[in-house]
Amino acid sequence: MKVHVKAFATFREVMDNQVEMEFTGGATVHILLTDLTRRYSGLGELMFATPDTLRDFVNILKNGRNIHFLFGLNTVLEDGDVIALFPPIAGG
Amino acid sequence: MDGYAGKMVYADLSAGTVTIKTTPPELKKQYIGGRGFGIRLLTDMVDPKVDPLGEKNVLVYAAGPLTGTGIPLGSRYEVSTISPLSGTAMSANSGGVFGWKMKKAGFDAVVVSGKAKKPVYLFLDNGKAELKDAAHLWGKTTGQTTDAIVDELNDMSVRVSCIGPAGEKLVLFACIINEKARAAGRGGVGAVMGSKSLKAIAARGDLPIKAADEEKLNIVKDRVRKKIEDNGIEKALHNYGTAVLVNIINENYVLPTRNFQSAHFPNAENVSGETIAKTILKKPKGCYACIVQCGRIHEFDGETGEGPEYEPDWAFGPDCGIDDLKAVVRANNICNEYGLDAISAPATIACLMEMAEKGYVKHPIRFGDAKGMLKLVEQIAKREDIGNELAEGSFRFATKYGHPELSMSSKKQELPAYDPRGIQGYGLATATSVRGGDHVYGYMISPEVLGAPEKLDPYVTKGKPQWVKTFQDLTAAIDASGMCLFTSFALGPEDYADLLSATTGMKIDSAELLKVGERIWNLQKLYNIKRGFGRKDDTLPARLLNEPLREGAPTGQVWRRDEMLDEYYTLRGWDKEGTPTSEKRKELGLT
Repeated sequence: MKVHVKAFATFREVMDNQVEMEFTGGATVHILLTDLTRRYSGLGELMFATPDTLRDFVNILKNGRNIHFLFGLNTVLEDGDVIALFPPIAGG
Repeated sequence: MDGYAGKMVYADLSAGTVTIKTTPPELKKQYIGGRGFGIRLLTDMVDPKVDPLGEKNVLVYAAGPLTGTGIPLGSRYEVSTISPLSGTAMSANSGGVFGWKMKKAGFDAVVVSGKAKKPVYLFLDNGKAELKDAAHLWGKTTGQTTDAIVDELNDMSVRVSCIGPAGEKLVLFACIINEKARAAGRGGVGAVMGSKSLKAIAARGDLPIKAADEEKLNIVKDRVRKKIEDNGIEKALHNYGTAVLVNIINENYVLPTRNFQSAHFPNAENVSGETIAKTILKKPKGCYACIVQCGRIHEFDGETGEGPEYEPDWAFGPDCGIDDLKAVVRANNICNEYGLDAISAPATIACLMEMAEKGYVKHPIRFGDAKGMLKLVEQIAKREDIGNELAEGSFRFATKYGHPELSMSSKKQELPAYDPRGIQGYGLATATSVRGGDHVYGYMISPEVLGAPEKLDPYVTKGKPQWVKTFQDLTAAIDASGMCLFTSFALGPEDYADLLSATTGMKIDSAELLKVGERIWNLQKLYNIKRGFGRKDDTLPARLLNEPLREGAPTGQVWRRDEMLDEYYTLRGWDKEGTPTSEKRKELGLT
């Protein structure tokens, strides 16, 4: 299955703005992010506090829904998903 | 020495006099400063029945005790008055350098009453104050006015807060601009200034601003500086400015588009903070004592200026169906030069666009027409042609043509850049805002979208009334203190309480801080009630309650007022109509 990944703000300083990724069934957001951190040096440090925990205020959206309100890093990916990656940001 | 300048200026423009008084100790204790001072003085002095643009309204400038003390992000001042747009007790906040200069000139607050026979400006100068002729400044833009005053006073250290032509022409959402680009933006405070024939306030001075306990303050300063520096959120503000929000709000499918007809703009990237940083950003800029520097200085095609901030970027962009960044920036610059609120102006244009497309108004403008949008901004500022009608704001305009439901406003003030249908707590915060449609009187976007201080599900209503009340009260206290609201991404109530205690010498803990905020909130509310506001006004446009979102994760969501409003009133100690009970008033000393 194919998943479309979009990166924003400071994440763009260490990775491509958009990435197409392919997975076999059952892959999770955690697997996707781990793949990305292997591919892009520096991303893991920006994104993860520990290998299994996102940094405070990092927000990952699956099709516009924060994974925090789905199954967190264990959220299962589906074909055609759009995953948006946001570092800590604010404004107003 | 307690962080205060110690004096307040009362300028009676009808009489042409200025009087200097000591800042009352009880006012400091009960209301801290800034918004607290402004609202207390306003509501004490002005009969609720007066016309906001009449001679009897007053305009209060007030800084806080933390303004200009060297505390990181301690730069703010507030302008309070009865809003000609919303009719509420209004307070609009601005940064830059002016608030600090006002205190260095010797004043915590400036209270302007009456109406001058001919245009004047008020010069605050090292403990003295005088009214000066401004006939030669009338008609000038904010930039021209600022330069002219600095030139005639022959002192580059002078800082100027002024109106542009829009304020002179009483555009109901005219703003006040200091240092050419920082705005006390909302509610038409600039129109009130114009109605008084007051063109500007200029400040010069080098008087000391000392804390009660400098040693303790330095310790707290270091602590808050570290918290701000270590917080990843503030770093993104520095790199990308507030417009960094464009993409995250859009990806959450809550970015109001084409006058809130949808909540997702496919071309949002073209006007995003990332694109601004990559294309037109010359350098970041900060206010006095700022270590974040979220401001933008842009340069393109031989033009330079400041901004855009997130709100005007959204409003001239996606809300008008426009993805031409340069047009958005030019429109924002026109607002700064003419002194227009860069939320209400574009939101009113977006309202016209929808009405024109639907045939309710005969006008050639359509969504996506950047050239037409730019022309309309100038017409509004000059009250020319249809701009004269749009200058009354979207609610009055849409009502005139029989479709008030197409004004995306609350209490007649245009809503900011978030769709409440997908952010329930934010919807409650803006619907109950005591100044009308608003985002900075309780920024629920922080927990519901950005995840700070913790992640709250934006689609859930349970628990939100308590969060909203706390955020509203805390924000009122921050606005009273003189600190920038953006510090709240990194700091908690205890930090503000410690800063205030060390600076003022008063014993203020977190509970007392929130109590002051609650007092300010209730004072604004009580005054609004006297002006005829009630439960019926604590709501949002029917579209947001009845027309479900149709795209992305929040598909099917509407804003669910009835699940939250009664609980919110109960938590506030208000009755079913939203009136503070006698017990609550007594508790807050508002009897």
